[in-house]
Amino acid sequence: MIGLESLRGLQGALLGAGGIVLPHIDYTAILPELILLGGMLLLLVVAALSPRRLATEFYATATVGIGIASLVASLVLWKDVVSHGPFTAVAKSLDIDGFAVLFLVLVSCVLIVAPMLAVGYLRREGIEGCEYYVLALISGSGAMFMASANDLVLVFLALEVLSLPLYVLAGFDRRRAASSEAAIKYFVLGAFSSAIFVYGIALTYGATGSTNLGQIAAFLARNVLTSNGVLLGGVALLLCGFAFKIAAVPFHMWSPDVYQGAPTPATGFMAALAKAGGFAALLRVFVTSFPTLRSSWQPVIWVVAILTLVLGASFAVVQRDIKRMLAYSSINHAGFILLGLQAATAQGVAASLYYLFIYAFLVLGSFAVVTLVAGRGDDQHDLSRYRGLARRQPVLAGSFTVLLIAQAGAPFTTGFFSKLYVLQAAVAAHSYALAAVAMGSAAIATFFYLRVVFLMYSGSAPVEAGVSPELVEPGAASLAAPALAMAAPSGQALASGLVAAGGAGVEPAWAKRSGGGSGASGEGDGAEPPGEATTGVPETPLSSSPWTVAGLGICVGATVLFGIWPEPIIEFARLATTIF
Amino acid sequence: MGSLDSYLPIFVLFVLALAFAGLSVLASRLLAPRRPTAAKEAPYECGIVPTYEPAQRFPVRFYVVAMIYVIFDIEIVFLFPWAVVYGQLGRFGLVEIVVFAASVFFSLLYLLSTGSLDWGPVKRVRPLAGRLERTTASTVRRHGATGTGDEGSGRAA
Repeated sequence: MIGLESLRGLQGALLGAGGIVLPHIDYTAILPELILLGGMLLLLVVAALSPRRLATEFYATATVGIGIASLVASLVLWKDVVSHGPFTAVAKSLDIDGFAVLFLVLVSCVLIVAPMLAVGYLRREGIEGCEYYVLALISGSGAMFMASANDLVLVFLALEVLSLPLYVLAGFDRRRAASSEAAIKYFVLGAFSSAIFVYGIALTYGATGSTNLGQIAAFLARNVLTSNGVLLGGVALLLCGFAFKIAAVPFHMWSPDVYQGAPTPATGFMAALAKAGGFAALLRVFVTSFPTLRSSWQPVIWVVAILTLVLGASFAVVQRDIKRMLAYSSINHAGFILLGLQAATAQGVAASLYYLFIYAFLVLGSFAVVTLVAGRGDDQHDLSRYRGLARRQPVLAGSFTVLLIAQAGAPFTTGFFSKLYVLQAAVAAHSYALAAVAMGSAAIATFFYLRVVFLMYSGSAPVEAGVSPELVEPGAASLAAPALAMAAPSGQALASGLVAAGGAGVEPAWAKRSGGGSGASGEGDGAEPPGEATTGVPETPLSSSPWTVAGLGICVGATVLFGIWPEPIIEFARLATTIF
Repeated sequence: MGSLDSYLPIFVLFVLALAFAGLSVLASRLLAPRRPTAAKEAPYECGIVPTYEPAQRFPVRFYVVAMIYVIFDIEIVFLFPWAVVYGQLGRFGLVEIVVFAASVFFSLLYLLSTGSLDWGPVKRVRPLAGRLERTTASTVRRHGATGTGDEGSGRAA
C-alpha cells in the first residue's frame, strides 16, 4: 500500500500539475546535424535495398553532397547569427553562436574532404561499402552537437556519438589485427575516460545544481562557495575527459597506438574530427562556465600545455614509423591549441579556433599522402619508404612537403599564422614562459618534419648526403612545388602518375638503401633496422584515384591559399569569438 | 554544502553494504570449522565432473543476434514511457516516436541486407565489407598477430 502511494507520488511529480511542457524545437537551429543524420539513414537504406553492390564512388559522392548541404545550412545559420545575434534552442540545451557555427562549417568541410581521401583506400583494400561513410556522418553529427551543446549532459551524449563511430572506424580493416587492436585500445580507454567525464558532470551538478552551462556560470557568479572541493573535483574530472579526447599529455598514451593501427584515412579523419569536437567543448565549457574559477584551472592547463608541447615534440623525433611520428606531432599541435585556452581571452580562443580550422586540412592531407605511400596492405609506414619519393612521385612529394612545412610553421602557409596567433595570445596573457617553451618545441618539431622532407628529396644518394649542402637545394626547390601543385593539380598529377608507373620496373631507391643497410644516416635516424621495409609492396601512385587528387588538392590548396591570404579565416575566428 | 546533505543516506547505505560484506566474510572465517576435502575444493562442487573443456569457437552470428536484440530492446524501453504519456505528448510525440521507430527499422533493413538473420548456408544479398572468404588457412591463424607494432613479421611469415 505504501509502495503504491509513493508510486502515485512519483507519477505526480513526474507529470507535474500542468502536464508535460514540451520544448519548442527550432529545427533550423539543428538543420546541419539533421542533414547529416538524415543523409546517413538514406545512405544506409539505399545500401540495404539496392539489389546489386553499389560502387564506393557512389557513397563518396553522396557523402560529399551531404557535406556540402550541411555546409550551406551552416552558412545560412551563420548569416542568422550575424544579423540576429546568438540564440539558444531546444530548451536552452543548444547554443547557436558564432563559435558553434564555426565548428559546424569546419565539420562540414572535413566531411567533404574525408570521403574523397577514403575512396582510393577502400577500393585498394577491398573494403568498399556504405559503412565507412555512414560512420563518418554519424561521427560528424556528434562533433557538431558537441560544438553547440550548452548542457553538460548533451556534451556527454555528443561526445559518445562522436566517439563510438570512431572506435569502429579504427577497427574498420578487419583483416588486419593491428586495426582491431587499435579499435579495442581506443574503445576501452575511451569508455574509461567517458566514465570519468560523467563523474565530473555529476560532481559539477552536485556543487552547482545545474548541468546547463549558462546556469552554472550564473550560479558561480552569484554565489561564493566557502568550500569548493566538490566543484574543483568535478572540473578536474571534466578536464581529464576532454584531455583524453584531444590527446593532451598525461592522457595521450592511446593516440600513437591508435593512430598507427587504424586505417590511415580513418586516422586522418579521427585526428581532424575528434580534436575539433574535443576542443570545441573544452573551450566552451571552461571559458563560458568556469570563468570565475580561472585562477584554479589556468595553472593546470599551463602544466598540461607545457607537457603536451615538449613530450609531443620530443617523442616524435625518435619515431621510425611515420604514423606514430604524425601522432606525436598532433599531440604537439594540441599543446599549441591549449595555449589559446590557457590565455582564456577572446584573442586566445580565436587563435585556437583558427589553429583547429587549418589543422584539420593539414592532418587530413598528411594522412592521405601516408595512405598512398604505404601501398596495398596499409602497413608499410617506415620512414625509409619516403627516401627518394620526390623522384618517383614529384607531385605527391611536393604536396607532402607543403603539408609538413606548414605543420612546422613555415611562412606562406597556414601553419605560420596559426602558431603566430596562439603565441601572440599567450604573450598578451603574460604567459611568457609558456610561449618560450612553445617556440622551443616548434623548433624541435621543425627538425622531424624537415627530416621527412629531406628524405623525400634525397634520392638514393650516399648516406652522408643527408647533411651535405647540396641537399638544401631540393629542399628549397620544394618551396616552389606548392605553386605548381596548386596551378595544375590534375594534369601534373597524371603526369607524375605516368612517371611513377614507368619507373615501377626500376628497383626503388629505398629498397636499395635499406638492402645495403649502410648504417646511420646524417639526420640522426641511426636506429633504422636494415632490410625492414623491403617486403616490396609498391606505393600507390597519386593518379590511381582522381578522388584522392581532388581531396589532396583541396588540403594543399587551402594550406597555401590561406597561408598567403589568411584574412577570411582569421576574420571568421575573430567574429566567432566576439559574438560568443 | 547543503545540497549534498541529501546524499547522506546513499553514503550510509554504501558504508552499511561494505560493513555487511566484510562482516559476513569475517564471521564465516571465524565461526566455520575448516575441514577441506578434494571434493569441496573443486571449482564446481556439484553436478557432473567435467571431463573435457567445452568448445571454444562458436559462430559470431550469435553475437549479431544478441546485438539485434539489444537494438530492439532499447526501442521497447523508449516506447513504454511514451505510451504512458501518449495523450499529453499529442501529435508532437507521435511524430517523434515514428521517426525514432523508422530509424530503428532502417537498421533492421541494413542487418537483413548483410545477411545477419540467414541461418542456412551463407547466401548474402549484399556482400559484406571486406574479403572474408574463409578457408582453414585464412581463418585459423596459427601464431602471432600481424601488425602489433613490429611490422613485417607477420607478413613475412
